[in-house]
Amino acid sequence: MADTGENFAAFNSRALVEMVGGVTDEALKATKIKQFLSVLAGRFFNWAGRKSLFTLHLGIKCCAIEMAAAATPRFDGDRFGVLFRSSPRQSDVLLVNGPISKKFADKIVRLWEQMPEPKYCIAMGECAISGGPYFQSYNILEGVDTVIPVDVYIPGCPPRPEALIDGFGLLREKIIRIGGAPSSGRESEKPIIVGDE
Amino acid sequence: MAQMWITMGPQHPMTHGLWTLRVKVDGETVIDTEAELGYIHRGVEKICEARDFTQVTPYCDRLCYVSAMTWANSYIYAAEDLLEADVPERAEYIRLISAELQRLASHLMWLGAFGPDIGNLTLMTWCMRDREMFLDLLQELGGSRMHYNYPRIGGVKRDIPIGFADRMIAKVKLFEKRIEEYEMMLDESTIWLVRLQGVGYCNAEEMVEAGVSGPNVRAAGVNYDVRWAHPYSVYDEVDWEPAVEKPTSVKGADCYDRYRVRIEEMRQSCRMVLDAIEKIPGGKNTNYASGDEMIYTKAPTRAPEGATGFSNYECTRGASQFYIEGGGEGRGKKPYRLSIRSPMFITIPFVAKTMIGYKVADIPAIMGSFDPCIGETDR
Amino acid sequence: MGMKITLEQNAAAVTECADAINDKFSGSGISADIVQHSNAKKYSFVRVVTPPQHWQALAKWMKFDMGVNYCSMITGTHYPEGPDERGWGLAYHLLRQPISNQRPDTSTVYVAEKMLGSQIPVEFEVLINLPNNDAPSVPTVQKVWVGADWNEKETWDLVGIQFEGHENMFRVLNPLDSPDGFHPLQKQHKIRYHDYNEMYDDAQGFVRKPADEGRVK
Repeated sequence: MADTGENFAAFNSRALVEMVGGVTDEALKATKIKQFLSVLAGRFFNWAGRKSLFTLHLGIKCCAIEMAAAATPRFDGDRFGVLFRSSPRQSDVLLVNGPISKKFADKIVRLWEQMPEPKYCIAMGECAISGGPYFQSYNILEGVDTVIPVDVYIPGCPPRPEALIDGFGLLREKIIRIGGAPSSGRESEKPIIVGDE
Repeated sequence: MAQMWITMGPQHPMTHGLWTLRVKVDGETVIDTEAELGYIHRGVEKICEARDFTQVTPYCDRLCYVSAMTWANSYIYAAEDLLEADVPERAEYIRLISAELQRLASHLMWLGAFGPDIGNLTLMTWCMRDREMFLDLLQELGGSRMHYNYPRIGGVKRDIPIGFADRMIAKVKLFEKRIEEYEMMLDESTIWLVRLQGVGYCNAEEMVEAGVSGPNVRAAGVNYDVRWAHPYSVYDEVDWEPAVEKPTSVKGADCYDRYRVRIEEMRQSCRMVLDAIEKIPGGKNTNYASGDEMIYTKAPTRAPEGATGFSNYECTRGASQFYIEGGGEGRGKKPYRLSIRSPMFITIPFVAKTMIGYKVADIPAIMGSFDPCIGETDR
Repeated sequence: MGMKITLEQNAAAVTECADAINDKFSGSGISADIVQHSNAKKYSFVRVVTPPQHWQALAKWMKFDMGVNYCSMITGTHYPEGPDERGWGLAYHLLRQPISNQRPDTSTVYVAEKMLGSQIPVEFEVLINLPNNDAPSVPTVQKVWVGADWNEKETWDLVGIQFEGHENMFRVLNPLDSPDGFHPLQKQHKIRYHDYNEMYDDAQGFVRKPADEGRVK
């Protein structure tokens, strides 16, 4: 663009876009269409997010074998949108399936921090809920919720793959309620435990 | 070319468990490795000093979670040595059947995890589908898909259900045909052969010096199997042969040999199970009540100070040993010291040294072919 | 039928090994006995008791002259209430596994019942008693058996027995930054809640102690 002198509205495309955008925004706000569109977009992202929960590929101990069994032909978690991703940057759900030792504690916090919002955590199995059979051990934390906030608890040692799929179902219901709320503000939620009713 | 250390950290889709492998690479070639374990060290040996002998069995199930029944049996033999308990013959047959069914399920889990490492995703679905057959059988015996808490000191908890024998024979015969499907898919696949043959050579003598045992060492032609060398249970009355592979090179066994050994072991396990169910004393379609003397002998619950028990057992990944010293809390009702020998604890540093000289892309093949299970490594 | 080493072969091999050790090392505090298992098929093994100062010489003789080529387990135990000469105990479980060579593309057929002499596998248990003090130590056999390397690291990490001459000792199971002198399997360390009545006021475990009131777990 050569001239920036006389006809700034016509030749300076950036200012043009800003001006047009500002006018449109005022019009949408006045007619309340903007409010309607943002509610619709929120509902759409909520639906898309809960129907495709990408889980981190983390296998700590025995419950990881049941997690793998839940992805196999008999139980087939893939039909619910549950896909395993190798990188924490690409996943929505951290499925903790084993006891957290002191050596691994800060690494799981690192994994949790690397996951982008909105993110959810499921504690699967007794070891992740409360330390499990190793609650007396010198090296195991008493549950993963001492270091990261947990949304759904799935009891069992190990829980059956059907219970894991039910846990994902309860997580989906929770996502309908809380949407994309950041994970740090969820302490007031009642803990969701599979098999509670 | 610059050299650098790469950390294949605890969260990694390929490491079959939670451990860190640090490799030093010069371009694409691995020149040094370091293994770091201990991410799921639970202190089981310390916790078991506060548990009765019967309460220790569930902890042993959870040591190697992929082959739980064999580890529970291994502990029970050590406890029987310590407490001097007798086992009726029908219970020994049932233990053999349950251990071999578990071996089949464990090798299928290994193959189902090994295939995707090499790139063959179909194997994951096929193997897990077949493994479900054996998990159903083990669920009939033990009550759960994993972690059965099934053997007892002096026998087993429950007898085989009525109709179990027919279901098991049908499933095992179906599986023998399925092994041929696996061989057809894999042994005729150029990609499989090129990725596994010539990779990860391990010398037989070095392996024995290091303490590697089980299918890893039988792949190098070393015919050592605890089931015949230090016999236990009724393996001498059942029709089987140890599965040993001839090594294809002076350098030892490669990944292809280790894969073939496990396929042969699956065949031998099928053969053992079909033979044992016909020879079981008391018939295959009778069901004795729990606690009946055909399947359980009441064992003493206290061990005096100074008594020790030791067991040498062939688990799916090698020879596992338990060493128990009596005289603990509760005036001898709890062990004073329970020590667990895991075959993988020795094999993993050995595997880390084996990778030197190969490319980074060969690391999953070498690591997977040794079948690591970290649960038993970090007790 | 599955093959197996028979009771007679086992008895013959075990007697031969025990006699060899006793002949070679008599009079130096090393003694070998034949002990029978009470489980499975009731086979026997060789139990050797040795003082710590002769351990390296015995280990080298066992490895190179008797062919014990497999070190499978090292167990360390703490006996704080034991007698003065037995405050710590070490148990080494070793194996003589003779078959270890196979030329490529050949296979030797082994018939277990026909094995003789030094072809028969034998289990060994070596017990070393250490005096009751705060600094137990034993010479290392890291250079003798490869399998002893990581086993000794684990024994030091969990129990605290020093291995003199062991190169590159580090914590294999506990976190690398564990405090010095923390060896959890020593008897003065108790497990968490080791008395259940620490957490609860009553035997059934219904009434929490006031300090634990309101805790989620």
